Amino acid sequence: MTRKTYSRREFLTGRAATGKAPAPLDILILGGTGFTGPEQVEYATARGHRVTLFNRNKTRPDFFKGRVDQLIGDLNGDVSALAGKKFDVVIDNPTTFPAWVRNAAQQLKGNTKHYMFISTISVYPDNSKPGADETDGLTPLPAGLDPYTTVADDAKKYYGALKTASEQEVAKHYAGIHTIIRPGLIVGPLDRSDRFTYWPARIDRGGEVMAPGRPTDPVQFIDSRDLAEFMIRMAEDRAFGTFNVTGPAAPLTVAEMLGGIKAVTTAGAHFTYVPADFLRANGLQGWRHMPVWINPEGATAGFTRRGISRALAKGLTFRPLAVTAKDTLDWNKTRPDAEQKTLADGAIAGIPASKEAEVLAAWHAKQKGAP
Amino acid sequence: MSTDRRSFVRTLTAAGGALGLAGLPSAAFGAPVIAAPSTAPRDRTRKIEKAPVSLNILILGGTGFTGPEQVEYAIARGHRVTLFNRNKTRPDFFKGKVAEELVGDLNGDTSALAGKKFDVVLDNPTTFPAWVRNAARQLAGNVKHYIFISTTSTYSDQSIIGLDENSPVHAMPDGLDPYTIDAGDAGKYYGPLKVRAEQEVAKLYPGIHTIIRPCLIVGPLDRTDRFTWWPARIEKGGEVLAPDNPDDPCQFIDSRDLAEFMVRMAEAREFGLYNAIGPAHPMTVGEMLHGVKAVTTAGAQFTWVPWDFLQAQNVRPWRDMSVWQPPYGKTAGYQRRNSAKAIAKGLTFRPLAVTAKETLDWHKTRPAKEQEATLNGEINGIGLKREAEVLAAWHAKQKAGSK
Repeated sequence: MTRKTYSRREFLTGRAATGKAPAPLDILILGGTGFTGPEQVEYATARGHRVTLFNRNKTRPDFFKGRVDQLIGDLNGDVSALAGKKFDVVIDNPTTFPAWVRNAAQQLKGNTKHYMFISTISVYPDNSKPGADETDGLTPLPAGLDPYTTVADDAKKYYGALKTASEQEVAKHYAGIHTIIRPGLIVGPLDRSDRFTYWPARIDRGGEVMAPGRPTDPVQFIDSRDLAEFMIRMAEDRAFGTFNVTGPAAPLTVAEMLGGIKAVTTAGAHFTYVPADFLRANGLQGWRHMPVWINPEGATAGFTRRGISRALAKGLTFRPLAVTAKDTLDWNKTRPDAEQKTLADGAIAGIPASKEAEVLAAWHAKQKGAP
Repeated sequence: MSTDRRSFVRTLTAAGGALGLAGLPSAAFGAPVIAAPSTAPRDRTRKIEKAPVSLNILILGGTGFTGPEQVEYAIARGHRVTLFNRNKTRPDFFKGKVAEELVGDLNGDTSALAGKKFDVVLDNPTTFPAWVRNAARQLAGNVKHYIFISTTSTYSDQSIIGLDENSPVHAMPDGLDPYTIDAGDAGKYYGPLKVRAEQEVAKLYPGIHTIIRPCLIVGPLDRTDRFTWWPARIEKGGEVLAPDNPDDPCQFIDSRDLAEFMVRMAEAREFGLYNAIGPAHPMTVGEMLHGVKAVTTAGAQFTWVPWDFLQAQNVRPWRDMSVWQPPYGKTAGYQRRNSAKAIAKGLTFRPLAVTAKETLDWHKTRPAKEQEATLNGEINGIGLKREAEVLAAWHAKQKAGSK
């Protein structure tokens, strides 16, 4: 994939004029070519910072060639390219394993004034409490698991626990000069997980769209650009601590999300809300099959109602939903056929059109049959 | 004051907006000119192709709300545009930009039109059949096509769901002469007068006329606040009073979609009678408000209050709850009219987010007094004070009911 596949011109607003930061920083971005990383690079560069990337040059090779310094290496192996380098701040995007933090620290410890780590809201094992903040309990490592495991399967199975342990590894190596960012669902252009993109793509096709739960169910997510820009500003402010980062600032319902997405399309989609229990009875799960949404009851009552007042106080801002939706839709249309097929099949997130039609038909049949 | 449109464009573009902005001084039809300029945001990056054939177009009016959009689009399509108006609504609005500006009055002296020939006339301002007659003294026989903006207010029965161009229209009450009716009664007899004006057009331009019946026209430059209330209100955030049920239907048309459709109908020499109503597929009032919210960041929260409670509070549909009409009884079809005929002829619709954002951006350029009037609900929209009262009453009732 090349950079040319999607334009960074934002729908309606144009990208907001980005002022220069008061003092340019030397920023090392670990990764930087995935999803949020490129937005950090763009924003940091626009703010006048000097950006160095450290990555395997594999995800999107030479993505920023000629625009930033690039060091090649592997957090899971050879980090020697970092030797002797000094930075004002390091932004760690890719780390899943504590071992990666430890590996990088062999070169970076003592050579950076600030370490920012993208963790996840998945560090919290208890999703039942609406409004839970950063003091909520974290996921312990399971007994017997090597904290320095780098087994790929462990990252999937123990994601929350390993991210928690990675946070602790960060705190150990960069005591007093670290920032832990715990984002919720990250959405926007360049997201290949389809966990939000499903909706713009689906709504743009029009027709009857199956919508999850009740229209008033809450949703939360964060545009990768809002996340990236917040992190750069936190670097500029040398703001340390731990922060939940999701949005928007005031509650957003699933109907507002879907209606907002519809507003950037012209296909005239119309929504049929199917209750959580009927979805479940038809083998459909919130999040996986009905992306973004989680039934806001019981064990997941707080999943889409995380407290974010700390980040708001530090200046986290949000693009209008229409911008996120339109830019994601525009980007989605530029994706290669294989990715379009993955989305159409609901292979990662969402459901295929055939499944949607089947469950809608079953729902309408049930409604008709109701006494 | 300078009302040079181009100089506004230059100034605003130089100011660095990624979105090109066209400066438009603001004044309502018939209202005194207001000195402070307003701007109509417009995506200047949108590429408009030239029409296959350049037409000689006369636009009656052209400086109000939909008119300026016709002028912009017609010029972009390569047509030659002449304006005929009183030069009062927005004096010299398109000075130097259109081929010709003729000054006169449809209600009086139309001599400036004498001897002129046009491929097509777009009649925007006419409410009275006499105005059609007056213009026709010069234009009949000199134009190949006459396009008249009428209104869906011509329909006498708004209870019909799926109402189309064959549905019944208003008759003039007995004893009233539409040619001599008092101008002050234009509002009272708006529907019947527009019907009679349509008939006048048909009589004077037989076989070469097009009647367009738009529903609620919305977008930048609309000073009636009949849609603008929502973007302006939602942009303020907080608890927003929303009408009845989010599933209630709503219809409206962006002035740009209307203007562009009319110019394309001129190019295609399409005659006949057309509803011009959006969007193409049903839209709920919930989707409309959620779509408007999506272009803001203030985090508005909607409280949907049932129609019977609104009624008890003397909250009026349309006037107080903008766009919305009760989808019951005599207004059951008000927001469910049929526009299939126009859509078949190529009527298209901008995404709601574009309409909402550009209306909001324009609203913010209005003089402070106008913006204040909007939030006070002076023209349309319930107004902040009354909204708060109704919400408080509703919550009190909810509390009492839950005991």
